Amino acid sequence: MSRKKILLVDDSSTVLMMERMILNKGSYDLVTAKDGSEAVERAFAERPDLILLDVIMPRMNGFEVCRKIREDEAMKGVPIIMVTTRGEGENVENGFQSGCSDYITKPFSSLELLTKIESYLGEERR
Amino acid sequence: MTGDRARSAAAGEVVEDREAPASPAAEGRDLIRVYLQPGQLYASAQPSAVTTVLGSCVAICLWDSVAAVGGMNHYLLPFFAGAGKGTPRFGNVAVAQLLDRLQAAGALRGRLQAKVFGGACVLEAFQARQGHLGEKNASVAFKVLEELGIPVVSRDVGGRSGRKLIFHSDTGHAWVARL
Repeated sequence: MSRKKILLVDDSSTVLMMERMILNKGSYDLVTAKDGSEAVERAFAERPDLILLDVIMPRMNGFEVCRKIREDEAMKGVPIIMVTTRGEGENVENGFQSGCSDYITKPFSSLELLTKIESYLGEERR
Repeated sequence: MTGDRARSAAAGEVVEDREAPASPAAEGRDLIRVYLQPGQLYASAQPSAVTTVLGSCVAICLWDSVAAVGGMNHYLLPFFAGAGKGTPRFGNVAVAQLLDRLQAAGALRGRLQAKVFGGACVLEAFQARQGHLGEKNASVAFKVLEELGIPVVSRDVGGRSGRKLIFHSDTGHAWVARL
């Protein structure tokens, strides 16, 4: 079975490092982007199986990134999990309206993140 | 949309329990306003409007209509089976802790009723999967509530849309908008 690829998008190097540390416990190929524009470029170039997307970023915010990615027919079925901070209730609503699939709120535990991702990328059980 | 008191809704439409006013604002009352984050829970004897947004997560609303005490949890993951007490980020823990808080606030367990919301799977390609996270989260709600003997009087679970939920803790009225 081929390894699944995850695109991690956050303008904070610390958050990216933490997400990497957690996801390295799973067998995933990880690629990163540090702003919205780069996220869109990497999404189309790398064709990830899942995107973990920050909301507030330079150049293009998470909602714009999500809408841009969803414009591509081939990317409509890619899970996009929005990473929000506490107190961003309105952002969560906007995220769903922009095409995000789900969300997770910082700070999150490794179990929460891995379970959420595994629920999309895990083996299909029919 | 499923359930005994709720009707179906398209994205962007607001649905409510049949006995509830057309919108939360239509009740025209001055309520404590609370926004519930994933992993949090809230219970109060003070009339409160509790709001949350759900994707694959599930929120259980419990209330005692006689004591006018109610509350809500919002959990991310179905079942905590580890050592220690666990956190309300897990369904089974979230229900137990909400029940404790409601009883401490004056609710009687035998009078509690439940409404269950959330557990969506937004991506069509993943909906056909058995046991996606939203489905597991919803299953835990119904299982635990049945074990506790708390009747589920309304539900809106599954589907392909996120939900914005507003719950009035004293009356048990709930409104859901599909996102």
